[in-house]
Amino acid sequence: MADRTMPAICPSCGSAISVVRLNCGACGTAVEGGFDLSVLARLSPEDQAFVLEFVKSSGSLKAMARHYGISYPTVRNRMDALIERVRRLEATVSGEERE
Amino acid sequence: MADVVEAAAPEGRKLGTWLFNPFHYVAGGQALLIGLVAVLAAAVIGSLSNTHFDGVLDVHTGLEAPLWVFVFESVMDWLALGAVLFVGGALVSKSRFRALDVFGTQALARAPTLVTVVLALLPGYQRYLQYFVAKYMGQTVDVEIGALDPFVCCVALMGMLLMLVWMVALMYRAFAVSCNVRGGKAIGTFIACLLAAEAVTKALSWAALQVT
Repeated sequence: MADRTMPAICPSCGSAISVVRLNCGACGTAVEGGFDLSVLARLSPEDQAFVLEFVKSSGSLKAMARHYGISYPTVRNRMDALIERVRRLEATVSGEERE
Repeated sequence: MADVVEAAAPEGRKLGTWLFNPFHYVAGGQALLIGLVAVLAAAVIGSLSNTHFDGVLDVHTGLEAPLWVFVFESVMDWLALGAVLFVGGALVSKSRFRALDVFGTQALARAPTLVTVVLALLPGYQRYLQYFVAKYMGQTVDVEIGALDPFVCCVALMGMLLMLVWMVALMYRAFAVSCNVRGGKAIGTFIACLLAAEAVTKALSWAALQVT
């Protein structure tokens, strides 16, 4: 089966999605409720992989540039774009919480 | 995401990136080293055919000068544009960026000048240019040109023009990547910086030639 990724945005209206049902794969117990996704979980799989690589590289952009085989400013620019996306997501989430 | 996608891109796309945006892969000290070798080699080879880079966007062949003038012109072109773009980037970019990346990528962007000076070494180009200049200036023409020389000269000139266009494209990509700018703001700032650097380097080239 192909890898399935959890959508973070509603495909119908574009709003942030929340989780309503969690399931234990071992015993089948299900928990239902309204669970908000963290900002990290709302990032795209590529952005999440980038964040994980950043952590594994001890926060070194130079080490990340070596890992991805690209230049330092390219990694730096990607990090800046990611920071911008995180800020927008945080603003969206805090706006929804206020509503 | 484009970066990860690029890393796994097919070979054809990677070749395109290497040709028109090598700064995706190379920047900083590595670009500076490769770029400086190219800049200095172009100056030395250019001196063999009296090819001057007397301005950021200029290529002129003919005027004899000591080797230091050719080296001065090439290094000055790189430094002037790098310095102006560094200031321009600081004014318009929202990101933090390193001077090493700006100057390194701008040095590497001048690599096409190596092809330009090799084209200028073509004997047919040299002969026809001497013949053409002598005739244009109303001087005695003491150069014998071959039947193919006009064709070789045309091909060399078109090649040089192509290298100039390629170099400017590389300079823009170098600026965009090293300063993290894009869109109309990046293009406008780049053009303004290019014109400012051209004016500065033209004046300095002229001053250098007055010293000799």
